[in-house]
Amino acid sequence: MGEAAGASSPSSTPQLSQLIVTVSSAKLTGGGGLFTSKPDPYLELSVDGQPPRKTDVARKTTTPKWDEHFTVLVTPYSKLDLKVLSSNTVRTDSVMGHAVLDLHPLLQNQNGKFKNFTKSVDLRTEGRGKVGDLELCLNGIEVDMRQYPKRPRNGPRASNTANGSASAASSSTAIHTNASPSQRNNTSQQGDGNRRPAPRPPGRTPPPVPPPPNANATPQNRNSAPTSAAAPSTSAEVTPTTATTPTAAAAAVPGANEPLPPGWEMRTDQQGRPYYVDHNARITTWEKPQPLPRGWERRTDQRGRVYYVDHNTRTTTWQRPSAESLNNYAEWQSWRGGRNINDFTQRFLYPQQQTASQEADPLGPLPDGWEKRVDTNNRVYFVNHRNRTTQWEDPRTQGLSKEDPLPDGWEMRYTAEGVRYFVDHNTRTTTFQDPRGGPSKGPKGAFGVPIQYERSFRWKLGQFRYLCNSNALPGHVKIQVSRDNLFEDSFAQIMRLQPFDLRRRLYIIFKGEEGLDYGGLAREWFFHVSHDVLNPMYCLFEYASNSNYCLQINPASSVNPDHLQYFKFIGRFIAMALYHGKFIDSGFTLPFYKRMLSKKLTIKDLETIDSEFYQSLLWVKENNIEECGLELYFCADFEILGKVEQHDLKEGGSEIKVTEENKEEYINLMTNWRFTRGVEDQTKAFLDGFNEVVPLQWLQYFDERELEHYQRNNKQVVWFWKMVREIDNEKRTRLLQFVTGTCRLPVGGFAELMGSNGPQRFCIERVGKETWLPRSHTCFNRLDLPPYRSYDQLVEKLNYAIEETEGFGQE
Amino acid sequence: MAATRRLQKELGDLLSEDSALKKSFRDIIVDESNILLWRGLIVPHMPPYNKGAFKIEISFPAEYPFKPPKVIFKTKIYHPNIDEKGQVCLPIINPENWKPATKTDQVVNSLLALINDPEPEHPLRGDLAEEYTKDRKKFLRNAEEFTKKFSEKRPAD
Repeated sequence: MGEAAGASSPSSTPQLSQLIVTVSSAKLTGGGGLFTSKPDPYLELSVDGQPPRKTDVARKTTTPKWDEHFTVLVTPYSKLDLKVLSSNTVRTDSVMGHAVLDLHPLLQNQNGKFKNFTKSVDLRTEGRGKVGDLELCLNGIEVDMRQYPKRPRNGPRASNTANGSASAASSSTAIHTNASPSQRNNTSQQGDGNRRPAPRPPGRTPPPVPPPPNANATPQNRNSAPTSAAAPSTSAEVTPTTATTPTAAAAAVPGANEPLPPGWEMRTDQQGRPYYVDHNARITTWEKPQPLPRGWERRTDQRGRVYYVDHNTRTTTWQRPSAESLNNYAEWQSWRGGRNINDFTQRFLYPQQQTASQEADPLGPLPDGWEKRVDTNNRVYFVNHRNRTTQWEDPRTQGLSKEDPLPDGWEMRYTAEGVRYFVDHNTRTTTFQDPRGGPSKGPKGAFGVPIQYERSFRWKLGQFRYLCNSNALPGHVKIQVSRDNLFEDSFAQIMRLQPFDLRRRLYIIFKGEEGLDYGGLAREWFFHVSHDVLNPMYCLFEYASNSNYCLQINPASSVNPDHLQYFKFIGRFIAMALYHGKFIDSGFTLPFYKRMLSKKLTIKDLETIDSEFYQSLLWVKENNIEECGLELYFCADFEILGKVEQHDLKEGGSEIKVTEENKEEYINLMTNWRFTRGVEDQTKAFLDGFNEVVPLQWLQYFDERELEHYQRNNKQVVWFWKMVREIDNEKRTRLLQFVTGTCRLPVGGFAELMGSNGPQRFCIERVGKETWLPRSHTCFNRLDLPPYRSYDQLVEKLNYAIEETEGFGQE
Repeated sequence: MAATRRLQKELGDLLSEDSALKKSFRDIIVDESNILLWRGLIVPHMPPYNKGAFKIEISFPAEYPFKPPKVIFKTKIYHPNIDEKGQVCLPIINPENWKPATKTDQVVNSLLALINDPEPEHPLRGDLAEEYTKDRKKFLRNAEEFTKKFSEKRPAD
């Protein structure tokens, strides 16, 4: 935002170009006394006040080597703001050195182009002068510098050093142009000052460009400044209204004598008609090319089709943006502005949220952070501002929706009269006929689709994937990790990214490896990270019980003071796995899934996570408890980190004896407490993290068993027992069941099996003689194996034991 | 604590003069600061274990009586159902069989019964089980010797 839009040169709305900044290394000399130990430096790169990009943290060094590449969008007037910070887990990260790199003079020296241009930059701090050197390498950008003369004034350099260019932007705009306020205004209408993707209606529909409301509209780039030199720059008002309703002063937009964009050439055909050759894309066109409006970029998709990226709004379109179309769009936006501001107040001033229309809504208010909107085709959709997603379904009734999604490439629109019709973008046709077919097979169930479909997991999965796809964000997000610090690296990377960025295509880089991530590396990353984060060794999760190796939140997780941050991270991570359709190397307990679906937990759910507790509670429920000396009161003990704490199930509960009359209440209170004890904060952090990436409402199609199935459709069990390598998985499972009483293994494999008295490894004892059958002691994960004479005999006996004699020889 | 009242009551019953176990389960020590851990001495009255006494520990979970207690031998014993670590498979406190109404005196009774009457069909020590079934005399001899050598001194009375 910091650059002036060339007030002195009418022709050059500075175009954004890609610049690859390689942050090579730094030498920090100024550390000294400040750091008793060596710092953990990383670099923050910010272009013109955009959100910063960060390198990885280099560990314990004053000569960090990062060698990281950042592709950024710059104009020839851009400034790179470079900060070296020291990572600190306790305090906020401290700035060790700072530098601002002004591209314009460098480009002038390099003839408008960077090719492996290395540059050493002095790092400074306020008051201490030079504190080190930073090595950079620049590549990319290719502009004709004649189009970008040196600015008339020195620019906002001085103020630029303080805290990025936010302040610089406003100071420069006050003098030069109103470009920045216009963009700021656009974003602030969407909710906050951060750069964020504009909420779009779901689906892949291009940004709506309604017909020009005013035929005399001046062709005008909606974001760029009035480009006329005649408009005295100081007179341009910095009020938001002027930004979205461009002044008519801009008569000098793309004129006839304007130079062509770089790489273009004008030729004349045999009839003397002028045409234009684009040497960049090797195409010709009759139309005179106009430089793309500010913030736009031309790209080519995999099939060679040209499309246009609007970095201002993070949208794409097939249509080449012209000044005219954008102006129309701006007009439309300003027309809509009033309503947006209204939405804005509704969203953030909570007490005012109860507007008349919402009170009238029988479903009650929308969940926090949601907003109802209407698209240009009058179709209602819902914006989730928390995680920046949109969807057609009402979040309050999601999962109960009456309609299944349209086929791929179809869109529903409404005529001015409110009659809905359907657009088939595949064949570019429209129809009133619902493509989902009319009254179809069999009776309809609660979901409004034929019963035979509604229960189908595939159908539900389809709904979920549809929501994922329609909220996909363009581009990819790089996650760079080293294999030997996988957990911490992944944590740092995931948490420093915006949650919505995690819905972009993932590009995983394992440091020092050259693999290209076409899905395989991401799969591997999900597998290994899930293996790590869910590993009970980290104390964030624990096994449900000795015989149930499903995971649940460990009530003792607070041994790690940062545990809530980690749960948020894991929430994000699991949501990413679901969103990107990747496997997780383990599963959670059924009640945990129920909690994700905010379903009520019952005593029956206890059975899966703590069968002993369940059995006892059931015993209390089913037997007369008077006169058998149970001595139960309305309180419960819970041991956490070696400390037993008492919890009153209700006020004064420790003095209220449980009787036949009140035991029902006791059982309910006890059940609820058993699920939540010690894990409430952690669960909330997890769900928060999850919801930031994938709205929890999207899960509402599923029941907890399906959720479990979906996260667990991998074979977690790592088989390594040599003797059973020959048998198939089903038999292996039975064997495991036979010996350990469970068909699952802990995350750490056999090494972490628990016995009734603590950790107890799977072991084989030589017991009895060859005529005996194998025996098992499930309490101690022990298999008693008689000394059989041959492999065949062993297979035969073992098979017999696990197939035919359920319960036989087990204790 | 929720389990305290129940355990105090059970302990009181065991320590009372009327306790049926006062001869075979004695010297019960419970630290005031931790009522969840009981120590005691098992004094069997049948051969081959009547030549000594055996220290045991009963530990109660915080969730008692929703979860069963655990019993472990602190004195070595030559027995097919008790392994070298002192672990014992006692059906009454097995999770599948546990009932919140089960009292500790029942648990100790069941332990005494198992000591006096080994169950070689469910051994934790296969070698001893085999010896017990095949050569009872040898087993009794070995067990008695082992008891004299390793067990605790029996109380005077």
